[in-house]
Amino acid sequence: MNIKKDIRFRVYVAFTCICLLGLAIIIKAATIQVKEGPELRRQAYEMHTRTAELPAERGNIYTEDGELLCSTIPQFDVHIDFSVISQKLYDANADSLAYCLSDLFKDKSKSEYKRMLDAAYKKKGRYVLLRRNMKYYDYQAVRSFPIFNKGKAYGGFIEDPKIKRVNPYQMLAYRTIGLWRENSQTIGLENKYDSILRGEAGRRIEQKAIGNIWVPLEGSEVETQNGRDIVTTLDIGIQEVAEYSLMHTLEEYKCEYGTCIVMEVATGKIRAIANLGLGKDGHYHENFNYALTPTEPGSTFKMMTLFSLFRDKHIKITDKVNTEGGSKIFYKRRMEDSHNVGEVTIRDAFAQSSNVAMAKLADHYYHSNPDKYIANLKKLHLHEKTGIDIPGERPPVLKTPKNKSWSATTLPWMATGYEVLVSPMRTCMVYNAVANNGKMMKPYLVSAIREYGKDVVTVAPTVVEEQIADEETIKSLRACAEEVVLTGTAKQYKSPFYTMAGKTGTAQVADMGITYGMGVYQGSFVGYVPADNPKYTIAVVVRTRRNSSAYYGGTIAAPVFKMIADRIFATGKTTWTKPVDSIASVTKVHIVAQKAPAASYRSIMNSMGIKFPLSVSDNLITQVSSDSNSRVVVTPQHVYTGVVPDVSGMGLKDAVYLLEQQGARVQVRGRGRVRSQSVAPGGKITKGQQIILQLS
Amino acid sequence: MKAILNRTKGDKVIWAVVLILSFVSLLAVYSSTGSLAYRMDKNASYFLVKQVMVLGLGLVIIYLVHKVNYLKFKKWAQVLFMISIPLLLYTLVFGAKINEGSRWIKLPVINLTFQTSDLAKLALFMFLARVLSKKQEVIKDFRNGFIPVLTPVAITCALIAPANLSTALMLGFTCCILFFIGRTQVKHIAMLALAGIVGVVLLFGISKMTGMGRASTWEQRIEDFTGGVKVDANGNEIKKEEVFQVQQAKIAIANGGITGRGPGNSQQRNFLPHPYSDFIYSIIIEEYGLIGGAVIVFLYLLFLWRSILIFRRCPYAFGAFLAVGLSITLVFQAMLNMAVNVHLVPVTGLTLPMVSMGGSSIWFTSIAIGVVLSVSRYVDEMEGKEKAAREKREAQALYGESEEEAEDEVDEEQEEIAVRALKNKKAVPAA
Repeated sequence: MNIKKDIRFRVYVAFTCICLLGLAIIIKAATIQVKEGPELRRQAYEMHTRTAELPAERGNIYTEDGELLCSTIPQFDVHIDFSVISQKLYDANADSLAYCLSDLFKDKSKSEYKRMLDAAYKKKGRYVLLRRNMKYYDYQAVRSFPIFNKGKAYGGFIEDPKIKRVNPYQMLAYRTIGLWRENSQTIGLENKYDSILRGEAGRRIEQKAIGNIWVPLEGSEVETQNGRDIVTTLDIGIQEVAEYSLMHTLEEYKCEYGTCIVMEVATGKIRAIANLGLGKDGHYHENFNYALTPTEPGSTFKMMTLFSLFRDKHIKITDKVNTEGGSKIFYKRRMEDSHNVGEVTIRDAFAQSSNVAMAKLADHYYHSNPDKYIANLKKLHLHEKTGIDIPGERPPVLKTPKNKSWSATTLPWMATGYEVLVSPMRTCMVYNAVANNGKMMKPYLVSAIREYGKDVVTVAPTVVEEQIADEETIKSLRACAEEVVLTGTAKQYKSPFYTMAGKTGTAQVADMGITYGMGVYQGSFVGYVPADNPKYTIAVVVRTRRNSSAYYGGTIAAPVFKMIADRIFATGKTTWTKPVDSIASVTKVHIVAQKAPAASYRSIMNSMGIKFPLSVSDNLITQVSSDSNSRVVVTPQHVYTGVVPDVSGMGLKDAVYLLEQQGARVQVRGRGRVRSQSVAPGGKITKGQQIILQLS
Repeated sequence: MKAILNRTKGDKVIWAVVLILSFVSLLAVYSSTGSLAYRMDKNASYFLVKQVMVLGLGLVIIYLVHKVNYLKFKKWAQVLFMISIPLLLYTLVFGAKINEGSRWIKLPVINLTFQTSDLAKLALFMFLARVLSKKQEVIKDFRNGFIPVLTPVAITCALIAPANLSTALMLGFTCCILFFIGRTQVKHIAMLALAGIVGVVLLFGISKMTGMGRASTWEQRIEDFTGGVKVDANGNEIKKEEVFQVQQAKIAIANGGITGRGPGNSQQRNFLPHPYSDFIYSIIIEEYGLIGGAVIVFLYLLFLWRSILIFRRCPYAFGAFLAVGLSITLVFQAMLNMAVNVHLVPVTGLTLPMVSMGGSSIWFTSIAIGVVLSVSRYVDEMEGKEKAAREKREAQALYGESEEEAEDEVDEEQEEIAVRALKNKKAVPAA
């Protein structure tokens, strides 16, 4: 073979090989597409696309007069990845960073911060905690510090945003408002109304674009629905005094726990609810919902026994009953009174809280037919939960003759408040029905659900039982209850300013591992004020520790009742809406009025017989003035163009609307409702003027 | 412009392939550098402009080189090879380290960084073309034929290997192809291959034992390719960078389908490390599909085939070896790069010639292409002259006029080869 031919042959061989390699490349690429394609494309989709959740803002909890009880604020944990910070950047800025940190947090000196930074930088820590739970403003400041302002990729700044629930009134009604923590047990209203407060997180699909940024895919968005606000029936003023006075008494007598409920008679709205228990640290905390926990009620239950007797017309209020010298044996078991009251009227027997009298009467009239007695108790719904809108309520225990544990002594003892388990809330409800002339209301804590400052759901009072008994029975019961305060066990709490009625109770406790012999008592007082035209029903239940010196309901529970009642009357809160004279005063010549919700004006003017313009909606802030003919004119506030309106106390949305309508530019600080405005109300507004609103 | 076109000689098809590849390069580089431009805080078209300039200069280099009489490369090859040896040594000791391999040096004065192995490769291939053409008579002899051609290869490979084993191996393998074409005994090549394997194992062993060099990188690459999955203490797969690279490249290929996602629509460019250099072929498949990928393969094969045609027509052994040697090495590198992209061979760190983004490497490729075109130009011109001479002779025969043949520029040695070559030239059809 000649040389040239040989070479050419070899070149062809090489060329063929390379062609085959090229073919192999194409075949391999095709194989990848066909064989591994679906899996690889799925991986690609996962990498390029993600579903981003747009968290919903949790709703706030307000009181009916607009106080913020619970809100959400953002918080930030910041970690630093020191490994990405270049030596040059670090050297140039470490000192000023240390200074900035020290200046902002004021907890360590500049040199301490510098030492900390140097140590962390030397170790090249990838996730070094800088600070936890930073407020938003602090976080913004830290993010702008030297080095950190280079972001995550160069400055190593890693933030973990969190949200935190805050209660501006802190401990106030803490248990009732409840707790909401991420990934943790929730309680109270936060739990019960979680579905409303929570809102609905939005979603969108995002695709990765150049520079590792995620770009939302158009049209893929499921909009976020922020949580709605709830409005509780709680009244901060009453709640405060309820908690204070309960705490005061608990501390004074070193009690185990106490609970206190203030219910509005006409509606069943809970205006205050306090639950204080002795913590391990020796202080009292809102640690358990005692108000909803059934216990043996003791003497306050005599009201239910009387109710049954009056309703069945077995007795009259003036009938005499012999208390047998304060001691009587029922079916081989002795019942004793705390002191001998002799032969007294039914009313006095109740007022003096005679056990023997009640047991005797119940045994006499119902021994042969206990079902009748039970049926009357059932009329009071004592066998059911109250159905109040917070979780954690446990069912009461009402024995019937069918129960195995029913014995001959059950009836007389039940008549005095033993062998039956009733929660303070339920007792309160019964007394409230008596105060409300026989109409039993369901207690409730949330009166409205609010969205963007507008009530979307309003909860109307619920009637459980239209008429628990005839008028005569109710009248007799109320006479008895009044007698307790006039001459009976609570006579020392009589007020010269207002009337009240109620019943004391002192029960020996035998539950939760405690036996009757241990000397633990439950003192209670349940009643209503004022006695003649009741507005509030108040239930106080206090449990003592072992062998406490004071344990009578009249001693440990009635003072709490009294303090709350005093306060309610001192602040004029005998009607729920603000007293009219706090908004406006009318003289013969003119009306002096200040801004108030239109609803308040409506009620004032209706009561004055002045026609209230229908065109003014209830949500608008209005002012009242008299025109030249001394006629009363109601004006929605936003009519005053060119004048800075007073927006304090308004929700942000309304405030911004009002101000921007006047041509102001609004800048907002903080969260919640408007606390103050940078330009005083009434001043002239110039277009484009900036007004800063401080929210609380 | 027309003047340049008129003066542009050489194989038109090769020119076309080069221009098409440059155009593809611009498209792919522009598409794949978005992420890099963003990271480097540069304008999105920054790298496109840079590549336009690099390729423009590359075309200028091709043009200039192809105007040079290829015979001059015979002397230059020797000089260039002699220069490359100390340069490689220098790089090995002082070179800039990228990923632990010393591969780059900076030229003083013009302040240009380049990979010495690129220069060495070019020098070696040209030098081999010379040696192989010279030793054809004795090539089958081990001592007189094989050793002289082997020596320059062995020296260059040995100097590149510590810093860049894959390039050295690639170079060795490519040289084996050249040996094969150059009629070296297959027996000798087999022996060389065996020695090569032993050498690599030894180098690997030494590097591993002393902890010096890049043994760990090599080990990892092999493991990655064979699918060995390392598992950490928690039982999680350790995602190593190169496994990641290969996986991302495969995803890009899978994304492409038959017709691709369309120009500029690559998604994988945001995930694939260096989508503009080693893995540009994956991006091309993602954007232009299997069809686009096949076209690229075809373009390189077309380039090689046209070079083989030049080789066939070239009467002198040196020119023939030069044309076929340079183009076969270039195309072989392209094939290897594409094979890496489709996961046919382990990751080697080779670029796709004329397409991957780059500076000096594109210019060295340009020189190689320029040399091939120079041979092509010479062949064309020589055949033109031959034709003219033949016509002249025929005319002389007709009219009885005589004129002296003028082939002054060919020196004795070439003449000798030319005569020998012409003896065997009967099979070549006249153009």
